[in-house]
Amino acid sequence: MRFRRTSPHAWELDDMHPLFAGLLAELPEVAAAHDRASGRLYPDPVGKDGPSEMRADWGEHVRPELECLFASNREIVARDLAPLADGDCSGRLIIPADHLDAWLNVLNQARLITVEANGLDEADLDNREFPDLATHRGMALLRTHFYAHLQELMVEAVS
Amino acid sequence: MSETGTIALTGTRDETDVAAPWNVVVHNDPVNLMSYVTMVFQRVLGFPRDKATRHMLEVHHKGRSLVWSGHRERAEAIIEQLHGYLLLATLEQAEL
Repeated sequence: MRFRRTSPHAWELDDMHPLFAGLLAELPEVAAAHDRASGRLYPDPVGKDGPSEMRADWGEHVRPELECLFASNREIVARDLAPLADGDCSGRLIIPADHLDAWLNVLNQARLITVEANGLDEADLDNREFPDLATHRGMALLRTHFYAHLQELMVEAVS
Repeated sequence: MSETGTIALTGTRDETDVAAPWNVVVHNDPVNLMSYVTMVFQRVLGFPRDKATRHMLEVHHKGRSLVWSGHRERAEAIIEQLHGYLLLATLEQAEL
């Protein structure tokens, strides 16, 4: 798989193995399963010496804004992924440069949800052995590592 | 494009303000990538790369890093932005 800039306004992912193209096509759906990791996606904003009354205000005013932001980013990514979902891009995908922030956000949503929903821990994430794809947990690890790899490439691209 | 933007931060306190400042603390989590956290600190807090890296490493090794201190309203705005990037950040009041 390659990730390269093809113009001032676009990046391209190509040479994608069908397994990874499939994981990518599932990205918006995976990232939308907020009920599986809601505590991590919308964490408590108050520390041990913080103002406890802030929690209620946060839930009423800030959380809806965050939900909107996350949903908007998922919509952008889903639109970019449409050719892949239609199966007509031959392992090649164009990503507009000004969509990279949305991609970074959605990849992070999906990774956090996958880790929470499958009970993966730091040792799992640090394990560099290729996971057992015959297991649900192994597929979750592969998904997490693949999305992390894409995130690394995109962070480098926007930095 | 993501709606998460950058805000200008001064990090200074009015000398007449006698209330304890509010701290923005970022906590470690095993999922967020080191490069991503560094990028977020640069964007949200306006840190130069070396300072952003220093704070990212403090989060990674010590479990938390105090990244900003000042007025409560600004601190809350920073935490909202950090949560928008899916970082674990909390508001704490400093001791005078």
